[in-house]
Amino acid sequence: MNRERFIKQRRSDWQTYETLLSRLKTSWFSKWSSRDIADLSRLYRSICYDLSLVQSREWGQRLEQYLNDLVAQGHNCLYRSPPQSPDLVWNFLARGFPRLLRKRIGSFLLALGLFLIPFLAGTIAGAMRPDLAELVVGRESLDQVREAYGKSFYEGFDTEFAGQRTSMAGFYVFNNVGIAFKAYSLGSFLGIGTAFILLSNGITIGMITGYVISEPDLTNNFFSFVITHGAFELTAIVISGAGGLVLGQGMLFPGNMSRGASLRHHGQESLQLALGAGVMLGIAALIEGFFSPMPIHPMIKYVVGSTMWILVILYLSLAGREVVTTEESP
Amino acid sequence: MATQPKAQVDTRVVVETPEGVDFRFVIAGPGKRGISFLIDWLLKATVVGFAIFISTFFALFGDLGQGFFGFGFLITLFLLDWGYGSLFEAFWNGQTPGKRLLSLRVVRTNGTPITFLTAVGRNFLLAADQQPAIIFPLFTVGIIATLTSRRMQRLGDRAFDTMVVDETRDWITRSPGITQGVEALTRAECPRRFHVPERTLAVIERLFESDRIIPDLRREEIAKTLSVSLRKRLGYEEPAPPQFRNPHAYFERSPLIHTLFLRRVLKTFVDDKNTDEEARRNRLKTGVAETALRSNSSSRRPGLSKTSENDQDVSLDQWVSSANIETIDTNTDWIVGENFETYGDQRSSNL
Repeated sequence: MNRERFIKQRRSDWQTYETLLSRLKTSWFSKWSSRDIADLSRLYRSICYDLSLVQSREWGQRLEQYLNDLVAQGHNCLYRSPPQSPDLVWNFLARGFPRLLRKRIGSFLLALGLFLIPFLAGTIAGAMRPDLAELVVGRESLDQVREAYGKSFYEGFDTEFAGQRTSMAGFYVFNNVGIAFKAYSLGSFLGIGTAFILLSNGITIGMITGYVISEPDLTNNFFSFVITHGAFELTAIVISGAGGLVLGQGMLFPGNMSRGASLRHHGQESLQLALGAGVMLGIAALIEGFFSPMPIHPMIKYVVGSTMWILVILYLSLAGREVVTTEESP
Repeated sequence: MATQPKAQVDTRVVVETPEGVDFRFVIAGPGKRGISFLIDWLLKATVVGFAIFISTFFALFGDLGQGFFGFGFLITLFLLDWGYGSLFEAFWNGQTPGKRLLSLRVVRTNGTPITFLTAVGRNFLLAADQQPAIIFPLFTVGIIATLTSRRMQRLGDRAFDTMVVDETRDWITRSPGITQGVEALTRAECPRRFHVPERTLAVIERLFESDRIIPDLRREEIAKTLSVSLRKRLGYEEPAPPQFRNPHAYFERSPLIHTLFLRRVLKTFVDDKNTDEEARRNRLKTGVAETALRSNSSSRRPGLSKTSENDQDVSLDQWVSSANIETIDTNTDWIVGENFETYGDQRSSNL
């Protein structure tokens, strides 16, 4: 075929395609008419053929570039990820997330160890020698703890309570979820960053707990405050740490994959762990913001808190255990 | 993928579509990505400043106002930290405002648009890539990762199988600078033949592409091979140098005759319609519907004037479906130039 005849013949299709593309690009995916889609895919295929023809006959860089451009745009339009439904989020939280955690139980236990062992050691050391706690976390932090838990939090439900707690809930989201995501992200340094964050948080939190135990007037206030949201917060921190460790595992132990492929393979799952942990931390922030400091009898908090712990453990170990049908399996 | 050569000298990546066609992406380097990051950063800083302003204003309204706006402010900070890149890229097909300004886009390495999880994942790992970040992110980790990767992927890109591509369109259009200040060849100078195939012109252009840094003398050396055989084909004779010349002046001017000749060839045979093409694309970008309708009604072709008279505001849908070869201006100059030849002809005249 003659080059000019080819262009003359095909150009109308190219223009139709261009107009169609620029119209579809600006309109929402679900609003495309079936006719448009049929036209687009037909034209796209024919332009792919044109491109390969021009490539094989070397009919000039500019023509090739132009068609390459058309193909790339159409490719971007046609091959997109399927639209996601809200169902997906629910399915993930109800089944996928606990299932994934159980699948990655090894990383979870490792993260738990990295957090729990320094936590327990810190608690014991801090309770027996408060001066050591002062050395590790600093005088100012301990003074803050003393001030915060030395008295009961609020007298009643007034605007002061509502105002301060709303703002604190925002702070817990910003701070805690941020730390959890960062702990996950730093797992990409072969897991070392995650391990460091887990260890240092374990020691700090342990030392403060130990200090509080050594001061009897703080103990009751402190534990009744932390028990409820701790169920979500502490588990979520460990889970996001597990996510970071999965990422590190992908880099360190690729098995029979290439290191890059192994990283990609582990990446998706590790991210899901971190996102699930983020949701749990959001719940924790609401509880810590509004329920934990309520001016009610500590006994109620202990009961609710223990129930929360049991619920979280049951959720993580049992949810999504029903028989998996083929459509449901990931 | 199979056609990807091992040793890569430029930043183009070939992706094979399910239709079996290869097309190329230009990978964006750390420079452009750095600039787009800075733009995004400034935008975020502006939003934070605005949020501070609003929350101090509402702090006047007692405990409740303070509480709600403290909450709003902190949530804004959190969303900017972890949601800005993730959500923009997830819902804006791989672009943040900074990326859109520089026409960069995140795609998966197989060329398809990124998914929600991929967008979130690569942006979460930004926290690792931007280390060390004491006051301002230095991106040392990210830059090292980028430079050691064939597709310029930072850690987040590697873990989630994405790459950042440069969609700037004019990366191969003809640079007007090459032919500036050069005289075109005249017919009289080329007695044998007055035609150079498009392929050869493309080769010459590659030699002058601005991203290929070649010293002038080296370029002259490369140009010589092509120039000599082209001269033979066109029958071009270098005009005899002036009889009397000062040897010092000769060296100062350093004529680089072969380079000059190739530039003259480009000037003569490339029918440069760059500006027209740009204008056409801009039209397409801004208002397709209007342009389509206007060109429809203003066309002088008899077959079309009938329809355009009847319904001035014909919908684009109808216009597209009714578009065929008669209704569209078949001026092909913007792509072909005036010179064309058949496939077989080109092969035989292959340099």
